Amino acid sequence: MSEREAAKYPFLKAGLELLDGLDLQLDDLTDPNYGKALDRAAERVKEAIVQGVVSAKLADPLTELLSYPLAVMYVTLIGEQFLSRRFALAEAVRAYNLLQDEYEEKITRIAVDEFGWDIRRDPENIDGVPHTLKLAYPDYLRAASSFHEAKWKLVNRKMENGLVCLTGVEAARLLQVGVEQWVRERVSTPSSFTLPEPLQKRLDDVKKVFEENRVRLSGSQLPDEVINEAFPPCMRYCLEGLLAGKRASHMERFGLTSFLVNVGMPIDDMVQLYTSVTDFDESLTRYQIEHIAGLKGHRTKYTPPTCSTLRTHGICRNMDSICETVSHPLGYYRKKVRRLERQREQQEAEPSNTTAQQ
Amino acid sequence: MDEDWGSPEFVKAQFRQWYARNSDTIPAPIDIAHREFAFLTFHGRTMYRHNRFPTLDKLRRYLRSNAPAHSYHSSGYYDDPAADMARKGWRGADLVFDIDADHFDLPCQMEHDRWWCRNCDNQGTGHHPEICECGKAQFETETWLCARCLQAAKHEAQKLLDILIQDFGVGTDELTTNFSGNRGYHVHVHSDGMIPLDQQARREIVDYIMAIGLEAEYQGFSQRNRGVRPTLAEGGWRGRTGRALYDYIQEVEPEEVKSMKLSRRATKSIIEDKEKVLNTLMKRHPSNVTSLIDPKSLQTVLEKAVKLQASEIDTVVTTDIHRLIRLPKTLHSKTGWQVQTIPYGSLPDYDPLTRATVITGDPVLLEFRWAPKIKINDVEYGPYEEEEAELPVGAALFFLCKKGARLKR
Ligand code: SF4
Ligand SMILES: [Zn+2]
Ligand SMILES: [Zn+2]
Repeated sequence: MSEREAAKYPFLKAGLELLDGLDLQLDDLTDPNYGKALDRAAERVKEAIVQGVVSAKLADPLTELLSYPLAVMYVTLIGEQFLSRRFALAEAVRAYNLLQDEYEEKITRIAVDEFGWDIRRDPENIDGVPHTLKLAYPDYLRAASSFHEAKWKLVNRKMENGLVCLTGVEAARLLQVGVEQWVRERVSTPSSFTLPEPLQKRLDDVKKVFEENRVRLSGSQLPDEVINEAFPPCMRYCLEGLLAGKRASHMERFGLTSFLVNVGMPIDDMVQLYTSVTDFDESLTRYQIEHIAGLKGHRTKYTPPTCSTLRTHGICRNMDSICETVSHPLGYYRKKVRRLERQREQQEAEPSNTTAQQ
Repeated sequence: MDEDWGSPEFVKAQFRQWYARNSDTIPAPIDIAHREFAFLTFHGRTMYRHNRFPTLDKLRRYLRSNAPAHSYHSSGYYDDPAADMARKGWRGADLVFDIDADHFDLPCQMEHDRWWCRNCDNQGTGHHPEICECGKAQFETETWLCARCLQAAKHEAQKLLDILIQDFGVGTDELTTNFSGNRGYHVHVHSDGMIPLDQQARREIVDYIMAIGLEAEYQGFSQRNRGVRPTLAEGGWRGRTGRALYDYIQEVEPEEVKSMKLSRRATKSIIEDKEKVLNTLMKRHPSNVTSLIDPKSLQTVLEKAVKLQASEIDTVVTTDIHRLIRLPKTLHSKTGWQVQTIPYGSLPDYDPLTRATVITGDPVLLEFRWAPKIKINDVEYGPYEEEEAELPVGAALFFLCKKGARLKR
């Protein structure tokens, strides 16, 4: 592979081998000759933070190639999961943009050689659109699982004999996920060691940009209080069933409990809720809730299942207009809370109006 | 002194006898050493879990000496099947499907299923309502079965097998089909592609099999699409959707069409220009249908139509990667019947009502409280209500296991 090719996809085996061949040590990098690579590495991470996508600067391939492992190093030294995720995605989008312009042969070769996918060329025309590739469903499911658009649902794909039809662009999009997972694995373990001065300087610079953007990127917070009126229809359904003493399915109970935990209902209140309406054993109920809340067992706090999971199990019911725009019950809650707040502000702004109505 | 309803001691003795003679016919699940086994006894409700049998011989010996009321193995493969859940070391799992007639809405259930509210004196037949008139939702139920619900379950199982084989390319040697021993069928898939899949991927497979989230546009039905050929003969959901729509429109009653609240144009097309719609489906690309039935109406009709081709599976069972599933060829103590493996291709001719009664013996006298009628081994029994009758052991066991009768001494 040429240097230019390696610079395009620096995470591929060939690129990594090329780098290995150079056998560089940290101290070598203090040489001013590497200044450009150090700068570019810092820039990659900053681009990921600010724009969410890394650019491709292929005019100087060696710098572009070298800067990738250095950028990875910066990310692991900062050691924030949130940054690792964002960086992996940004590098993957970079690769996707490049892959789209490649010939299918190149796409399939990367898929087969680097990710071990079972993909082959076998053109078929579907509704007037040429679908030139076919991918085995296990690989398809692993890569497409994070997509929410209807067109990626397996049931909306043409599949025969275990092979899913794809266009070249779609294959590139799936490869993006492969790249993202790949990069993510390499940046998710934090590291710590001391850097020589010129590298440390740039790391401090990246850190500053990260801190400046952190709040903007980490999304809005949920209110401290539980706002019942903001519950999505599915959770209302589970709650009403529970209040009627209905024997809830495991999925309903897990969905509701994890939802309530995440919107901040105090555990004592939940235990009371469950034990008051049914013959649940109090200590067992408490244990289960604490488990879901991440206070017991593996200490992971569970997030509620996504809308599509709830749909599979028949719990998504009575969808309303907000539902059309969300993919997660917590997303619904967040939106509805904001909407209710806005309504309240409006009402407060026109007090005479509301009193007149009463 | 009267026996308890169901005479569990008698049933247990029958199971014991059967296992003494037949344990050696129980086959090993694939990779037996990495499976967990679990059992329920006739007394008490605790499940004996986390058993492991390095060899088939040890499993058979266990069955012989314990004669369990229910026997299960894990769909999962573990490094250490005997460890507790967190330490088992999951290696993968078969993809398992449970088809249970209890989940369907069938007319025959009004004849053989009953419920009572625990809170008020409301009662009824068939499925209980979600919430009782009294506002509670605590019910006692009694569910039986008959040839019709078993047939309905078989139909769903057959559709499932077709989708697995044609669409997913599962080999006929990579799956087994079992009669569950009660009201349905279990399908186990152990192909290399399926075993490592996580829950999310399994959920997507469930959606595929049940046609959840299927959209008309991706099955060819969109004005934007530019195809030339009809899709009826295509593989996968594209062909199945076309065929489902064809069958549905051909048979649907005008009343049902009107009740769907489609656009006026769509209603007219389906009722009055039925032949034109069918012809278009048969001869032209589905995008041409959208000029007869608008996209929104089409989606509504399709959602009904594809259910005829989709399979009604239990969503929770299939997405669970740690599921316990009945051990094939063992006995089911809610019927006294055997969980039976049905060779591929034999499902259409398989009838549990003549095959699954494996315990035989001299007639016994039963005292019935209530039981609907059912045909077992070609003999019609019941309905019974507060009466006595003498039945061959096989049939008698069924009524005892369902707790509709007890031994009369
Ligand atoms: S769309 Fe999502 S939030 Fe709305 S009811 Fe369904 S599962 Fe709940
Ligand atoms: Zn009641
Ligand atoms: Zn029936």
